[in-house]
Amino acid sequence: MEEIVTRQNYSEKEKNDIFNNEFLPHINSMYNFGFRLTLDRDDAKDLVQDTYLKAYRFIESFQKGTNAKAWLFRILKNSFINDYRKKTKEPSKVDYQEVETYYNSEDVNRQITPDLRVESLKDMIGDEISNALNSLDVDFRTVIILCDLEGFKYEEMAKILDIPIGTVRSRLHRARNLLKEKLSEYAKSMGYKNTES
Amino acid sequence: MNLPHNPFAQADGKKPTCMEMLQVIIDGEATDEQQEYFKSHMDRCLPCFKSYDLDMAIKRLLKSRCCGGDAPADLVEQIKLQIGQNTAG
Repeated sequence: MEEIVTRQNYSEKEKNDIFNNEFLPHINSMYNFGFRLTLDRDDAKDLVQDTYLKAYRFIESFQKGTNAKAWLFRILKNSFINDYRKKTKEPSKVDYQEVETYYNSEDVNRQITPDLRVESLKDMIGDEISNALNSLDVDFRTVIILCDLEGFKYEEMAKILDIPIGTVRSRLHRARNLLKEKLSEYAKSMGYKNTES
Repeated sequence: MNLPHNPFAQADGKKPTCMEMLQVIIDGEATDEQQEYFKSHMDRCLPCFKSYDLDMAIKRLLKSRCCGGDAPADLVEQIKLQIGQNTAG
């Protein structure tokens, strides 16, 4: 999956143009990604700042006009894993073998949460969806953020996360089922009964 | 009955599950042929029909509820200041 990086030779003006016009417009998405990963606004700010400093330092590895957002998200994700996660010693809790086995089993066609209905989602105007997302393990949370919040394609996600597209799909599938389970719990607490229509 | 070719079928001929097809559709990764196939599949598959609405609703809800919030106002300035210091040093 490693790509051959062709180093560019930018002038100072070109570097600043790329930074201002291609990198900085993504700062709000980057901050949201940082916040959703760390679940702390100060840590998110540090993570984004660190990412932009690295992006500037390695700007000659970036080819002008290519997918800056995906490149920045990849740096942020790596910074999170290498720096933040090590610091907090939060290990990955995802059993990927279990995920793959599940995805390839017959059970995959089974409806996991038959009691969750579109109607019950309409009342979730508060923080329920946000809390449900934040409660997922960080690796599951990440694929949902990249796909559903930021609209990355599977191929882009594979590059950002350094995993095969098949793993992107299976992790996304499992993440969504876990999210539905959480939402289903909220729906029940809001008075919606087991109501398969 | 002679079923039409399933454009979701993998190279090894493995039959895709409903959930696998649905995911490709809701994530906008389907080809035109796959979209056409899934439309007619949904007409005769109630679980897919129901899941499609639910999955799309969750996707919309995530986008509308979890994307908000701008970065702190001073963040860009701090980054630029730091870069200026690093390049000057």
